[in-house]
Amino acid sequence: MRSPTDGHASRMRRLFVRIVPVGTVLIAWELATRLNVVNPYVFPPVSEIVLRWVTLVAGGTMLGPLWDTLWRALLGLGMAVAIGVPLGLVMGRSRAAEWFLEPLFSFAFPLPKIALIPLYVSWFGLFSLSKVMQIFTDCLFPIVLFTYHGARGISPIYTWSAQARGTGPLRMFWRVVLPLSLASIYDGVQVAVVVAVLVAVVTEMVSGGSGLGYMMMRAYRYGDVRTAFATLLTISLIGYVLYRIAQALRERLLFWHVTEA
Amino acid sequence: MTGARGGWQSTGRNMLRILPVLIVLGLWQFASATGVLPKSLMPSLFEVGRALAGLIASGEIVPHTLASLGRAGAGFFVAVVFGIAIGVLMARVHSVQLALEPILGLIYPVPKPALIPLFMVWLGIGNFSKIAVIALACLVPIVIATFNGARSVDPMLLWSARARGTSERRLLWRVVLPSALPQIAAGVRTAIAIAVIVLVSSEFISSEAGLGFLIFSYGGVGAEDAMLAVVLYLAVLGYALDRLYVAGLRKAMAWHAFAH
Repeated sequence: MRSPTDGHASRMRRLFVRIVPVGTVLIAWELATRLNVVNPYVFPPVSEIVLRWVTLVAGGTMLGPLWDTLWRALLGLGMAVAIGVPLGLVMGRSRAAEWFLEPLFSFAFPLPKIALIPLYVSWFGLFSLSKVMQIFTDCLFPIVLFTYHGARGISPIYTWSAQARGTGPLRMFWRVVLPLSLASIYDGVQVAVVVAVLVAVVTEMVSGGSGLGYMMMRAYRYGDVRTAFATLLTISLIGYVLYRIAQALRERLLFWHVTEA
Repeated sequence: MTGARGGWQSTGRNMLRILPVLIVLGLWQFASATGVLPKSLMPSLFEVGRALAGLIASGEIVPHTLASLGRAGAGFFVAVVFGIAIGVLMARVHSVQLALEPILGLIYPVPKPALIPLFMVWLGIGNFSKIAVIALACLVPIVIATFNGARSVDPMLLWSARARGTSERRLLWRVVLPSALPQIAAGVRTAIAIAVIVLVSSEFISSEAGLGFLIFSYGGVGAEDAMLAVVLYLAVLGYALDRLYVAGLRKAMAWHAFAH
């Protein structure tokens, strides 16, 4: 029989075990740079990177680029959800839509859409629009395909019993198909969140115009490695935080969902 | 699924699957020819095809293909060798798992192309920095897949091999790796797609050769037919590599339930 305090102690131990390796790496990094084993100009000490990060965040220099990257990523992702989910549902429920769209999406999914950046710049300009459209394009594919697989895999027992009770097609989508596909849609959104941040940063690195990606490239050009590291830290943090938010939302929204094995 | 009949059926299915792609390409050409899609916005499919034929006929695309394949291949190869080794070690040696799992958790959420500027500071703007970022980006999915595969080896297999006096070394090669292979293969396939994305991003940011460089420089001078030709070429190349990998895998793993 395990007591609650016992659980607490083992949780502390697990946390400790997790912290030790990361702590060792950070201390080794700090020592190596302080003792000039590696050139501190190209590989600055951790403490200085953290200090720079705090300065940039507290001074507000990091906030503008952070906001630009964040809204572009979220707008592109939101558009992909708004268009991709209905598209995926229709693909999953209509044979004709499936026949036409499934090969297109499956074929294009693994292709590097990032190669279209120059084309998007010529279509949508150098500024935010081309970046948002690029993020939208990259996020659309996982969302459509995950939604499609979710909608396709719905057990016919649910649709039959809804049909038997005279449910119309529109109501069927809202009340049966969409809810039963939600778990799969969320898997797609979780993949797409990571993609959105990545593509936002890459477009900013390639075509400039503010944002964290641009901030990194500028720091690189000025040889300011501390700022480059601090920006990388912010980029990783927003990727991580958005992923965790998507995960938490999933648990809240899908608490009723029984995952079928 | 063997025999002529199965072969014909699957050919028919593939034809049916490729038809929508052909319809979209046809619509593109039709829209360009009738002027619905203005030339200023996008060249026609035929123009892109002509540009691609020109790039191939003149041999211009060859050194760029080699440069890109070399970078992606080198990074990918390093990732496969180290990724499988690290993944197996993590699964078999508990202390290694304890040491590396949190560090892996730290690297995992970093969008790898964001490392390109830092690697350029460390390793210069040449090939090394690109190869290193590609290797690191490919490493993570391979390590995770190998770790999961090697960890979930059926203990019955291990017991019966040990009971017959199999050495630990032989156990690794004859039992652990083969039964982890399907998961490793899936991780490697993810890594191929990642390699191409990181490759193109890094070549966009800085390079003087490679397919990403070619796309970017043609885009920069407004030669959109040539730019799209290279994009198309890259897409076909990526697709061919993936199919080649899957076909090779099926051959190599014909004995495994996964292949059927």
